[in-house]
Amino acid sequence: MGKKKYFVKRKKACKFTAEGIEYIDYKDLDLIRQYVPVSGKILPRRVSGTNPIYQRKLTRAIKRARLMALLPFLGD
Amino acid sequence: MPLYELGVIITPSLADEEREAFLGELKELLAKEGATIVKEDVWGKRNLAYSIKHEREGFYVFWQYEGPGTVVKPLEYRLRLSDQVLRYLNLNLDREMQRARKMEKVRAEQKAAKREKKGQRAEASAAAAVAEV
Repeated sequence: MGKKKYFVKRKKACKFTAEGIEYIDYKDLDLIRQYVPVSGKILPRRVSGTNPIYQRKLTRAIKRARLMALLPFLGD
Repeated sequence: MPLYELGVIITPSLADEEREAFLGELKELLAKEGATIVKEDVWGKRNLAYSIKHEREGFYVFWQYEGPGTVVKPLEYRLRLSDQVLRYLNLNLDREMQRARKMEKVRAEQKAAKREKKGQRAEASAAAAVAEV
């Protein structure tokens, strides 16, 4: 008997769609940090469930924050 | 006149008066170019996420200003020449918002089209029900 694999289905939700945020500010670190793990990488859509439109905006905001030394280019 | 947002990181080694003098100079430049500062947001000294020019700290200042497009060039030129500026970022906020608003419009149109379609379908089914009776 093979081991049965269980998948935990988690409902993914796009925070930005739900809350109707139209512009993602690079200075809003509390918001942006939710999408940047300690590695400093940008959390992929497949993990966070963000809509494509907002993922692109988020990416732009994160890169701007990196330029302004608010976020690291390289994490720990 | 578009709304701009300027973020500047100034060297922490600069004395308070010197920094104020420099910021005053920038403000003068903005005024001369016909721009008015709408919002001032001073974060003060903050640790940098990585060192810039061997500095681990920076003094953060954010300004929102409204002015003609001709401001940008002299302002950025001035910032680039200053040694005390570690980094700056000048954004056209109107353009950023425009993109968002454009998307909003498209989405609203899509929604309206969907609703209309749904309404048509409901009407059709209602008509069919009436016809059956």
